[in-house]
Amino acid sequence: MPKLTLWAAGLFVLYGGLFLHPDVARSEEHPRVVAVNYALSYFAERLGPDEIEVDFPVPDGIDPSFWRPGIADISAIQSADLILLNGAGFSTWTTKASLPRSRIVDTSRGFSDHFIQTETVTHSHGADGEHSHTGLASYTWLDQDLAILQAEAVAAALETRGLVDADLLASRLKGLIGDLQALDDAATDLANIAQSWVLIATHPRYQYLAEAYGLNIRYLEWEAGSAPSEGQLAELRDLVAKTGAKVLLWEDNPPPNARADVRALGLAEMVFPTLAQRVEEDYVEQFGRSINELSSLLRGVIQ
Amino acid sequence: MIKRVIGQLGCVAALIVLGVTAEAHQLNVFASTDCTTVLVEAKFSTGRRPISGDVQFIDGEDKVLATGTLNDDGTLRVPWTDLDTSTGLLITVSTGAHKDFWIMTPEDIAKKCQS
Repeated sequence: MPKLTLWAAGLFVLYGGLFLHPDVARSEEHPRVVAVNYALSYFAERLGPDEIEVDFPVPDGIDPSFWRPGIADISAIQSADLILLNGAGFSTWTTKASLPRSRIVDTSRGFSDHFIQTETVTHSHGADGEHSHTGLASYTWLDQDLAILQAEAVAAALETRGLVDADLLASRLKGLIGDLQALDDAATDLANIAQSWVLIATHPRYQYLAEAYGLNIRYLEWEAGSAPSEGQLAELRDLVAKTGAKVLLWEDNPPPNARADVRALGLAEMVFPTLAQRVEEDYVEQFGRSINELSSLLRGVIQ
Repeated sequence: MIKRVIGQLGCVAALIVLGVTAEAHQLNVFASTDCTTVLVEAKFSTGRRPISGDVQFIDGEDKVLATGTLNDDGTLRVPWTDLDTSTGLLITVSTGAHKDFWIMTPEDIAKKCQS
């Protein structure tokens, strides 16, 4: 009998230790949710911080719109409990492999009538090779009203699949919507500040931001994080002369000399991260900071 | 003389239109297997099929297993036995100006061929 008790105690310690080990607990106990961009992964993390493991598989420095996953990446994604798509043509890789339909949720499906059509352009830059801007603007979450709808779609998917307790989910969703609503309120004033002045952006990413907050943005086709060529700077000079623009938005941090070149053309400039990729701060902090910075910049050059 | 100028303008206009068309479509690739062959199908977003294109079959360790050329109907069939599919297949198609890919994971293949 004492021998049996010792064996039982040993087994208890062994299995107890296994379950308490954080790595084992994570992989065995937490359903895995894959998100195709940082914005959606942030929403999922806010909604299920303790119950789900959120995986945003696109490596740092890679544009999630045009990421080309490897075979192992797709295998890992196929085995997820839930796959959160952005829709609106974002992340073309999702159409390049078989994904389990029953575990896919298109978070923008409910507002497809709000999608913004763009001109289709196929071009090539950087290591990502040739890609197309498919005729639909994809960065829907930059309109915080649409971001709220996407957060609600994430919450509904988590609830339907029983991945997060419904009461907890409702409370967390309320908090998240409150934060997104506050960002929307802060951005609403941009139209008054910008008036009809033209802004220039280095890549066509901000269509939903422009539409929601009354901004007139013209787009270049510069590679994110790179210095513009002489030809591209000449193109910018022409666009400034034509539009009278005073502000340029970078999609990503360019080299310092590139920022100086732009300022030499009489433009104020700032980095406005799209939040498709991870940033140092979280989604709410970064978007709030970008809106404040843009407001200050516009006030400085226009008013 | 006038006719020649009009003709030249027509050629320039045609080139511009072709240039715009070339920019406005993209290549879509799909691959499937019946466990005896791998069928690769390529199509432009306009619905037109490429009449030629280079195809590569790459494994999960980035090793090129086989190469081929699209037939004039935009397809290519490769015998299953020519490919080691144990680590999955990345199938790339390049028509020169356009490129696309399709991924078959080991799980996709197992589901299809080991059931």
